[in-house]
Amino acid sequence: MNAVRIMWRVTQLNFRAQLEYRTEFLMMIAIGAVWQVSVIVFATVLLTRFAGMGGWDSSDVLLIPATRMLAHGLFVLFLGRVHGLGRHIQEGKIDAYLLRPLPVYRQVQLEFFPTNAIGDLTVAVGLMAGALGRSHLDWTAGRISYLIAAVLGGMLLEAALFTVVASASLRFPAADYWGRWLEELLGTFGSYPLNVLPRAVGGFLTYGLPLAFVAYFPAAVLTGHGHSTGAPYWLAAASPLLGLLAYLAARWLWRWALGHYTGVNG
Amino acid sequence: MTTLTYAWRAARVTPLGELYTPPRITAALLRLTVQVVLVASLWHGLYAQTGTTAGLSRDQAVTFAVLAVLASRLRELDQYAGRDSVAQHMYYGTVVYWYLRPLSPHRYYALRALGEQLYGLAWALAGYAICLAAGVVVPPESAAVAGVFALSLLLGQWVLHYVMLLIDQLCFWTLRNTAALLILIFAQNLMSGVYAPLWFFPHWFLVLSSFLPFQATLNVPLSLYVGRIPLSDAGFQLGVQAAWLVALRVLTRFLWRRAARRVVSQGG
Repeated sequence: MNAVRIMWRVTQLNFRAQLEYRTEFLMMIAIGAVWQVSVIVFATVLLTRFAGMGGWDSSDVLLIPATRMLAHGLFVLFLGRVHGLGRHIQEGKIDAYLLRPLPVYRQVQLEFFPTNAIGDLTVAVGLMAGALGRSHLDWTAGRISYLIAAVLGGMLLEAALFTVVASASLRFPAADYWGRWLEELLGTFGSYPLNVLPRAVGGFLTYGLPLAFVAYFPAAVLTGHGHSTGAPYWLAAASPLLGLLAYLAARWLWRWALGHYTGVNG
Repeated sequence: MTTLTYAWRAARVTPLGELYTPPRITAALLRLTVQVVLVASLWHGLYAQTGTTAGLSRDQAVTFAVLAVLASRLRELDQYAGRDSVAQHMYYGTVVYWYLRPLSPHRYYALRALGEQLYGLAWALAGYAICLAAGVVVPPESAAVAGVFALSLLLGQWVLHYVMLLIDQLCFWTLRNTAALLILIFAQNLMSGVYAPLWFFPHWFLVLSSFLPFQATLNVPLSLYVGRIPLSDAGFQLGVQAAWLVALRVLTRFLWRRAARRVVSQGG
């Protein structure tokens, strides 16, 4: 309970710190929104020019970027500070975190308030509302529960991927480079049916770099395309659970990497 | 001779940072390879059940998208890792050293950018040669197209240099400007065709882009290469690029002079 109170206090202070530069604060909200709008623009352009993408109806396709963006917005808000951690490691901030009586991972997350998440989530909620409004599916309690689980699973899977990069950054700060690429890949290839890609490439984005589990598989299961994803149906359906398992595994990896961390002073 | 030495030293600053960190080079190689494969696969997949759309055939769209990925290597070097970005120099106050060297800041900036772009060009050319040999991209239709493309790419990269310089010069006026920088970089990527060829966008978007310098950086040269802009229109497009070049050069030189007045060393 005390830990929650401390986190809340620090978050409040971080939020006030962000408000110090009002223009920057508003522009950070704008950049969050603009970044998400770019995903919508890209998806809209593809949907308009290439109707019936991968055999999916356009209203079904819309559910993929909506799920991904909502998951991404929640990731940025709650767990996003692991992204770009390499720079903090280069600056030696981790050494200071190790001296304080609070878990390092939590201190990383409390580094600053992610103002851009406000913009991210605003656009994501709008897109999700639009996707649900255009959907022809019968939104039963079961489907809604699965969608919520999918969004949370997507958030945890994204956090897991960036935590793995952050763990690598503890030893090789240049690994941060991979984080930027990962963000780019998630934005570009995480927002439409991956069955438009050749099987080998789709396989890479499923088993090599598990982007498919963030939004594509959950949306496929919800819209009845679960059997045509190229992966076993049970695996696609278990995406939310896999997100949770991946995050737990990534946290274990983080603890192991932190145990082997050596600062500039040895 | 001394001038040449200064030029060489300034031009190799950022590439050296990359060459001294082999994991970064390995990562860049892997990233570029995977990105080319993914982008080519995506556009092949999208065109599987469609003929020519937005005036672009499948080969033209794939070539455009792959060349855009390769061109993005031209300015991808990380100045931040070496604490040599303008934003960092302004934040830490070390920008004052730029004004104490026997090389003016604007010349140092230009030479450093030239080195970065030449280093990136080596990557892009190697990638292009491999993609061409593998049949991922189609060659230009004629020697004239190739020549016009090369000239347009040169002008485009020059315009891009000034756009990036403008973004950096903003740091002299605003200490906290991460968001502004991100918005400008985003606009540059979106309106130059990095995300998707501009021809796929609605008409109003094309009209809006035609009033901004971003499309001159990449969309024009790549459209000339794939033949979406015919050679008969090349003169006008090259003229537009040159006009942006002159306008941005005048503006950035003016801003360099104004920026110098804002630099104060510790203690005044």
